[in-house]
Amino acid sequence: MSVFGMSRTIMRNLFSGPATRLYPTREKEPHRAARSRGRIEIDIEACIFCSACAKRCPTDAIIVSKTDKEWNIDRLRCCTCNACVEVCPKKCLAMGNRYTPPTVTKDKDIFRQPPRPPKEPETIPGA
Amino acid sequence: MSPLDTALLAIVVVVAAPIAGGLLAGIDRKLSARMQSRWGPPLLQPFYDVRKLFRKETIVVRRSQNFYVYFFFVFMVFTAALFFTGGDILLTIFALTLASIFLVLAAYKASSPYSFIGAERELILMMAYEPMVLLAAVGMYLVTRSFIVVDIARSPQLLALRLPGLFIGFVVVLVVKMRKSPFDLAASHHAHQEIVRGITTEFSGRTLALIEIAHWYETTVVLGMAALFFAALPWLAAVAAGCVFFLILLVDNVFARVKWQVALATAWITAAALGVGNILVVFFLR
Amino acid sequence: MGTRTVIPFGPQHPVLPEPIHLDLVLEDEKVVEAIPKIGYVHRGFEKLVEKMDFNELVYVADRICGICAFIHSMAYCQGVEAVMSVEVPPRAEFLRTIWSELARLSSHLLWLGLMADAFGFESLFMQSFRIREKIVDMLEEMTGGRIILGVCRVGGVRRDVPNDALADIVRRVKDLGVEMHRLADVFLQDDSVKHRLVGVGVLIRDQAAELGCVGPMLRASGVSRDTRTLGYAAYGSVDFAPIVEKDGDSYARCAVRIRELFQSVDLVAQAASKIPGGEVGVKVSGYPEGEYHSRCEQPRGEVIHYVKGDGTRYLQRYRVRTPTFANIPALLRMLQGCELADVPVLVLTIDPCISCTER
Ligand code: SF4
Ligand code: SF4
Repeated sequence: MSVFGMSRTIMRNLFSGPATRLYPTREKEPHRAARSRGRIEIDIEACIFCSACAKRCPTDAIIVSKTDKEWNIDRLRCCTCNACVEVCPKKCLAMGNRYTPPTVTKDKDIFRQPPRPPKEPETIPGA
Repeated sequence: MSPLDTALLAIVVVVAAPIAGGLLAGIDRKLSARMQSRWGPPLLQPFYDVRKLFRKETIVVRRSQNFYVYFFFVFMVFTAALFFTGGDILLTIFALTLASIFLVLAAYKASSPYSFIGAERELILMMAYEPMVLLAAVGMYLVTRSFIVVDIARSPQLLALRLPGLFIGFVVVLVVKMRKSPFDLAASHHAHQEIVRGITTEFSGRTLALIEIAHWYETTVVLGMAALFFAALPWLAAVAAGCVFFLILLVDNVFARVKWQVALATAWITAAALGVGNILVVFFLR
Repeated sequence: MGTRTVIPFGPQHPVLPEPIHLDLVLEDEKVVEAIPKIGYVHRGFEKLVEKMDFNELVYVADRICGICAFIHSMAYCQGVEAVMSVEVPPRAEFLRTIWSELARLSSHLLWLGLMADAFGFESLFMQSFRIREKIVDMLEEMTGGRIILGVCRVGGVRRDVPNDALADIVRRVKDLGVEMHRLADVFLQDDSVKHRLVGVGVLIRDQAAELGCVGPMLRASGVSRDTRTLGYAAYGSVDFAPIVEKDGDSYARCAVRIRELFQSVDLVAQAASKIPGGEVGVKVSGYPEGEYHSRCEQPRGEVIHYVKGDGTRYLQRYRVRTPTFANIPALLRMLQGCELADVPVLVLTIDPCISCTER
């Protein structure tokens, strides 16, 4: 007869503290492994709005507008497949290892390139 | 005690018992979580739950099912008041059983297959633990010559020493009463893998909140009965109740749920061997 | 004869991670008949071949299932590679093997947890998941994904793992073996667990074969059949023999899966020690033309990916036969005559993956 086989593990658990965290108030530190596919980051200054990423994206999460100089991403559509990063000619996309914070709304993250100053450097807005 | 004192004490019990029961439920959830290496909910989570349930819409299959739940609640309050004011232990047991019967009736009334099966299993469980509870009362009578809780409590003898078998048997009853694994066939605290929520499947909102509070009363009463075995030494009684509570949590976490045949057999065999055996020893060695 | 009740089991039920519906006809607590209804999570994945080219379809294959994701994408890639006669570099084959086995570990641990929950053993459930979490963390470190790895591609894999990182993973997986042994002891020795598993849902050897069972279901009934013996990916280069049990009950199925845990640990170690250097992917040009049945061993059994290309970017036909689909007839057979209390155990014993089945 073998009962109480689990009790050793249980007592150890009881005294060694929980293995879980109160996410999202407490995140794992360091947040994730360096390779974690968290979310897409863009260096909007370097983007040339070629739309290569948008064409390649299998979930159509990215919309690029050349005229408005605007690049936006629907984080909830994105499946973090990394395809856009691989295809970008300017290497301005990167896969960050932090996840998008939990959300209750379906918003797009919109990035707009500030209009390039014609010549005078003092017109730079707080970008 | 004068009737007025008794009435006052009863009011205190009616207010304090659910608070104690709710806190116990909170400790239960936190400790169980830690045993499973989870963080666990806040200590007051059971109270938050009940507050939330009271605000929810009460959806019923049939209106009359709530009626039975009110009776369940009232009798449970009555049981607690009776027990802690030191009334007749036989009457307490009877009221406790009656309350449970009302819950079973409510579940039958809801006419859903899940609550139906839950109700059937609850009846089987009642059949399983009832003999042991009665034997415990008989044992206490044999030692103290009284069925009145105050007299039992005032008895100078440490009941647990004379009735160790009955005490162990009573702990088994507690596991059933607190709806813990391995005997959580009819309903359990988390989602039930066989019959959803079993007996409480069809209750919601205010009614479910009442069932929850009645369950807190129930927990305090049965733990109180267990403590009665140590009533001669009050500090020991408190320690014993705490230990029994912890033991039940441990048992909950190291057992799979058994099928009803085994539940019935376990309860009856303990009742027959430990309960009757103990009573015979007390009876003949007196 | 008792009165008959019909219990609607599912589509939403605590024991089911995914929706399937069973109408259980009960006589008291005995099940006399089980009538299944499926189709709640059909998403039409296979039709996506019209919209996504054969390279993009890997992402789709990866998402057929949330537990055995990697093996799906691998089976798909193997199919396309066979059609296009692509030679996958050996290092990629070995990495695929390692990831398949880690995915199997995570899947089996998940199953053990769900099984423990099915018979009401909550702490065992949490403990299984706690161990599984470490496996998933390792996968994340190596590939970036926890469940959906997204590392397979036609012609190889998309990420390489340095050898010293692999050695570290092997060391950690072996360390986990100690904890898994403790877990296994409870599953295989604890009496209250045995009470729920031994003799429940017996399928004898002939029945299992006749009903077309696959995977651990089949092996637990004494049939030694495992697709890994075909030697796909790097399975040809490691020591491997299918794990077989004789009894054909739920306990035997549990035992097969538990022994496979340790086998997987061993396979990861073997593959990591034999892994050759070199590239992890080749460039693929041209479009697939022809058809192929690609077979792989999922944690749940054999999966078949059928791909057919007609020389364009888009495949002409793509079809997946998942292991759960093959195991459902056996489930219905086992349910007849069992007790209501056994239903959750029996449903889980086939390790159902409904979203795989319905795609
Ligand atoms: S990671 Fe994949 S899904 Fe996400 S935006 Fe880039 S291409 Fe689209
Ligand atoms: S591919 Fe790169 S450069 Fe082109 S639009 Fe996308 S982010 Fe900008």
